[in-house]
Amino acid sequence: MKQKQMMDALPGTVGEGLAQRGVDRREFLKFCTAMTAMLALPPSMASVMAEAIARARRQSVIWLSFQECTGCTESITRSHSPTLETLIFDLISLDYHHTLQAASGAAAEHAREQAMKDNDGKYLLIVDGSIPMGDPGYSCIAGISNYDMLVETAKGAAAIVAVGTCAAYGGIPKADPNPTGAVSVSDIVKDKPIINVPGCPPIPVVMTGVLAHFLTFGSIPELDALGRPKSFYGETIHDRCYRRPFYDQGKFAETFDDEAARKGWCLFKLGCKGPVTYNACATTKWNEGTSFPIESGHGCIGCSEPNFWDAGPLYKALSMPVSGTGSMLGTAAAAGAAVGVAVTWYNRSTKAQAKAAHAKVTVQELTREEK
Amino acid sequence: MSATLEKGLNAFKEVIDTPIASYFSSCVHCGLCAEACLFYNETGDAKYTPIHKLEPLRRVWKQEYTLLGRLGKLLGLAKPVTDAELTEWEPLVYDSCTMCGRCSMVCPVGNDITYMIRKMREGMSASGHAPEDMKGATKRAVEIGSPMGIKWPAVQAQIKHVQAETGIEVPVDVQGADYLVLMSSMEIINFPEYLSAISRIFKQAGVSWTLAPDAFEATNSGIQIGASDLAREIVSRIVVAAERLKVKCVISPECGHAFTAIRWEGPNLMGKPFGFEVKHILEVLDELRLAGKIKTRGKDKRPLTYHDPCQITRRGGVVEQPRHLLGEIAEDFREMPDAGVMNWCCGGGGGVSANSRAEPLRLEAFKVKKRQIESTGVHTLITACANCRIVMEEGLEHYHMKVEVLGLTELLAEYLVEGE
Repeated sequence: MKQKQMMDALPGTVGEGLAQRGVDRREFLKFCTAMTAMLALPPSMASVMAEAIARARRQSVIWLSFQECTGCTESITRSHSPTLETLIFDLISLDYHHTLQAASGAAAEHAREQAMKDNDGKYLLIVDGSIPMGDPGYSCIAGISNYDMLVETAKGAAAIVAVGTCAAYGGIPKADPNPTGAVSVSDIVKDKPIINVPGCPPIPVVMTGVLAHFLTFGSIPELDALGRPKSFYGETIHDRCYRRPFYDQGKFAETFDDEAARKGWCLFKLGCKGPVTYNACATTKWNEGTSFPIESGHGCIGCSEPNFWDAGPLYKALSMPVSGTGSMLGTAAAAGAAVGVAVTWYNRSTKAQAKAAHAKVTVQELTREEK
Repeated sequence: MSATLEKGLNAFKEVIDTPIASYFSSCVHCGLCAEACLFYNETGDAKYTPIHKLEPLRRVWKQEYTLLGRLGKLLGLAKPVTDAELTEWEPLVYDSCTMCGRCSMVCPVGNDITYMIRKMREGMSASGHAPEDMKGATKRAVEIGSPMGIKWPAVQAQIKHVQAETGIEVPVDVQGADYLVLMSSMEIINFPEYLSAISRIFKQAGVSWTLAPDAFEATNSGIQIGASDLAREIVSRIVVAAERLKVKCVISPECGHAFTAIRWEGPNLMGKPFGFEVKHILEVLDELRLAGKIKTRGKDKRPLTYHDPCQITRRGGVVEQPRHLLGEIAEDFREMPDAGVMNWCCGGGGGVSANSRAEPLRLEAFKVKKRQIESTGVHTLITACANCRIVMEEGLEHYHMKVEVLGLTELLAEYLVEGE
């Protein structure tokens, strides 16, 4: 890639902000390359992304926190500090975030209203926490109920990012018996693009990835049926788990302190929910790629899946299917096996025929005969 | 008899095995292999993305071995692989792939793309889509005994020179010797220092070794062009000689693909385990060093760096040995960036150096090696592959760089304590 000095920084852009903070282009490009890889974009997009982000006006972001524990904010703002992710995060214009902002009371609410007015139709709304539909008094900010604040703020947003399992699917507040009548953002807002970034908490880089995508393309990344970005939630923890070979060999830990556990065998029997959990923990890992729960010796609890808290005991093996009854499953398995055998047999015969048709290659036969 | 498209397509069907089927079905199209490839990296041309080089083979897999693909073929929806397409792909499969294996290292789902290229070449050569120069080299290897057309008398002449120079007798056809030493044509023609160095080191270490007139050539053009039938014929010469002389171990010389051919592909081609070991010369030298059988004195004062030959380091696993050996004799050894298993290819492996059509591209790809060397600031480059050595000498010449290239074995021999 061509070595330029720091990007031609226009005033008020991310590029200018980075230059002021002494972030050089090489470091920035490295970030963009990693981002493009994580978002499963072609490598050539790295420089496109770098140009786009550098030239982007600082994106106005309003962050609303409802029924939550602030774990999502902790994860996103602190865990990667002080890497480039954090800098970029600083360099968006975070106009309202009641945990992080200095202002309080009327001044804080004024900041939110001002940002909504100045960037009408263009700001990004980030929500963490679920919304109580029971008594509005269960959770309100500055006397405004969570429901009213969400509806009001969502109106002028370009897109909404529901951060954490609570905002995405209701999360722990929604767990049985759901005393507050908690619901997710998508249960309320129906007319805006919503990106769900579930996890309890979500991985910070997923958040920055979604932001980088939005800044580069002005659109939201490709989502799955549950509204999650496919590039991060496309595969199960299990499929990408480094302990997967043990599962395939039928080598399981039976207790947390047996010989098998010490050898790092599969935690399936100890209740690991990796096989039914779609998230990027096994690949991006946590704390700057240090580790993830399974690597630390504990099974996955499936925190990025809807209703994970009510999906059976955390330490009970996933030996039964979540839905579907035995007879249907039996028939399907038998049919699947039969198709598998047929396909294998057919493929073997194709290959055997090809082998039989093999004419020994001699030196003369490397060349075409002249016609 | 002639090469035909049908033979090529049949070979594609024949080489698609369980690994290849699972590789194609698990490719996530992330494109990470592109930036691992020196040809993509130096040209920026997307057609050099490694997985893209396999497109015709992928379509044959889809059309012949997957349910949907077969259905599509039945309904006439599939695009068949044609001669015109294979002609277009020939430069991608041969000129712009050195089978260096860097792409296989970075693939996040673990696809061995290099393995697939090797297999794809079977179909390319059977359909007549191999480069002319490689056909010529293969013809000479099969008919004359060496890709450069060298016969035993040329080796005999070299033996005479070495004996006159060192005063050490070079053993030939010794029954029951421990080691059978092979050479590459390039060493016979361009680098006679190798045989001289081996004679001196082995004399000091008291190693029993021999050359064999019917199996002196280690290289295997059949592997590079991708014709297993021919590769088997070439490797069988070595197996026959090793069994005839009852040696314990065959030593692959300072040549990259020869090691792959004998050490890894050999037993598979022959369809049976070898009754002898195969080692690279650096492995043998490092074993001798560990056993205290190599005595050196003094150290080379020049700043040096080491180029890892792909087939020996990345694909062959010989990583630490050259570092240990250099540690004995180099005062100022400097690693180049990306040294070791992720080192960049010289640009001429996998038959590319034998293919004159690929020369402009190869010189373009050499720029990465140029940058690596420049960043170390040395003027002496050590390696352990005669092909890398020739390719790099040409590249250095082309870019007017004053850097000398030496083989590690011969450098080691310079510091031997002799005659005491």
